[in-house]
Amino acid sequence: MQNTRSDSAIVVEALVRTYPGGLRAVDGVDLQVATGEIYGFLGPNGAGKTTTVRILTTLLRPTSGRALVAGHDVVTDAAGVRRSIGVALQEAALDPLMTGRELLALQGALHGLRRGEAQARGSELLGRVDLEEAADRRLGTYSGGMRRRLDLALALVPRPRVLFLDEPTTGLDPASRAALWREVRRLNDDGTTVFLTTQYLEEAEMLADRVGIIARGKIVAEGTPTDLKERLGEPTIHVDLLDDSRLDEARELLRAIGEVGPGRSGGLAVRTSAGARAIAPVVRALDDAGIEVDTVEIEEPTLDDVFLAVTGQPTSAESDAVPA
Amino acid sequence: MSAAAQTGIAGQARVVVALATRALVIQTRKAQLLIPTFLLPLVLFAVVANGASAGRHLPGFPTTSSFVGFIIAGTLVQGTLLAGMTAGIALAGDIEGGFFDRLLTAPVRRVSLVLGRLAGTAVLTIVQAAFFLAVAFVFGARFEGGVGGVLFTILLASLTAVGTGGLAAAIALRTGSLSLLQSLFPLVFVMLFTAPAFFPRSLLHPVLRSIAEYNPLAYVVEGMRGALHADASLGSPLNGALAALGLAAGATALAVLAIYRRTATL
Repeated sequence: MQNTRSDSAIVVEALVRTYPGGLRAVDGVDLQVATGEIYGFLGPNGAGKTTTVRILTTLLRPTSGRALVAGHDVVTDAAGVRRSIGVALQEAALDPLMTGRELLALQGALHGLRRGEAQARGSELLGRVDLEEAADRRLGTYSGGMRRRLDLALALVPRPRVLFLDEPTTGLDPASRAALWREVRRLNDDGTTVFLTTQYLEEAEMLADRVGIIARGKIVAEGTPTDLKERLGEPTIHVDLLDDSRLDEARELLRAIGEVGPGRSGGLAVRTSAGARAIAPVVRALDDAGIEVDTVEIEEPTLDDVFLAVTGQPTSAESDAVPA
Repeated sequence: MSAAAQTGIAGQARVVVALATRALVIQTRKAQLLIPTFLLPLVLFAVVANGASAGRHLPGFPTTSSFVGFIIAGTLVQGTLLAGMTAGIALAGDIEGGFFDRLLTAPVRRVSLVLGRLAGTAVLTIVQAAFFLAVAFVFGARFEGGVGGVLFTILLASLTAVGTGGLAAAIALRTGSLSLLQSLFPLVFVMLFTAPAFFPRSLLHPVLRSIAEYNPLAYVVEGMRGALHADASLGSPLNGALAALGLAAGATALAVLAIYRRTATL
């Protein structure tokens, strides 16, 4: 998607946030999100994602730099920003003693709706996120997925121009994640700009028009998922041998061609920027050494590969082992 | 969407009412908040009424229709202290739990967030004070000040709770610490016993009597007694009203400053 300042829903310039003690959580971030775009903001834990979101939603002040949301400066026109945004923060902050309906009514009042309007909007949104039956139950009895769906409904009460979703599906089961993705896509189809932080690359690939990867407070890569994979990812050649006892020997030989690691089903994986062009050298090297090859497959790079390449570490999601 | 209306007085009033309603609803659903505000003062009321009633025969103890009628003002003030403290605890819980961030991202004035919380405390205390007075009436207290004296006393209690709630809210907003607020609970009893809550000021230890001069709650409790029993010798309702008003205004200002300072330095 083409970005220009005039049609940007979010503009961030040289944004810096330093915490007391000197930690520079956001270190010169520049980014633009076009109106109507879904922007995926990726990064390892502690990279600066949440700090950036908190600045953009006026919950934190930047140490320096500038950020505009829906045309409003987050420092000099914070009220304007708040009138334009919906926010679902990480770890849905819901009062367990309130019911879903009560919380939606409160949210309506906070956003200027009269009682009748707030009730009607609340009922509409409860239906939209499929929580009508649980609407009068206290939130302490809600499952994680229900809490996330309600959090999304709360963020939608003011019909925001820009919606911030901070890790909206962390900890959800696959069905709940898929349902939330459908709703986000639907909102975007209706014209809402979405700024989505996530640690799930699959989520970014499914939803985001463009992705920004942040590491140690700086944007280290930005583009469409396809573009990033083409620019920064390396294809992997998976090689299975007929005789696994010669794996060590094969590994030594293939190091001359690319980075060698463990492959699928006990074979070897060779990562190389040469891509498919490296298949012939791989097979030839093994054949010359008398090592018989069972199968050879090429795997296109994923966003995980991009993430690893630019941040130097795997995604948090991998280490968390959350079901896909 | 009438978000622009939020900047108007009517819009802000709706926010205050909505937040006050929420504060009241939560108070009734959480035993940790409900018990201190309604049960603890009655426990102390029962203990003092039964264990210290002989004190009314001490020289210098004023003549009132009943000992229960005399000490109920102390119970009311204890109730205001606990209602205020639980308001601060609830606010600190909102801050620690992240719910306060939801409020901060809404297009509402910061002052409305404070006033909503304190309005809830004020209404809670009206219910609480009426309940305590009814209990005292059942157990023999009679209020010569009539309906006017009772209503004035309830108003004093409500204003005082706004004051103590404002102080607790200011601490919560400055520190964001639930555990700190909880650790301040014993201060309730320091404030209570350095005021002539259950005995006349003249019978307090000289040291306590000196401290009481600087404790606004001393004037509140005496003002309540004066109004309830239509007896100026028990205390000046005017002084009580001035003390309660001053406490409420000063503490609310502190809480409002605290929220602006918190959001300006985040």
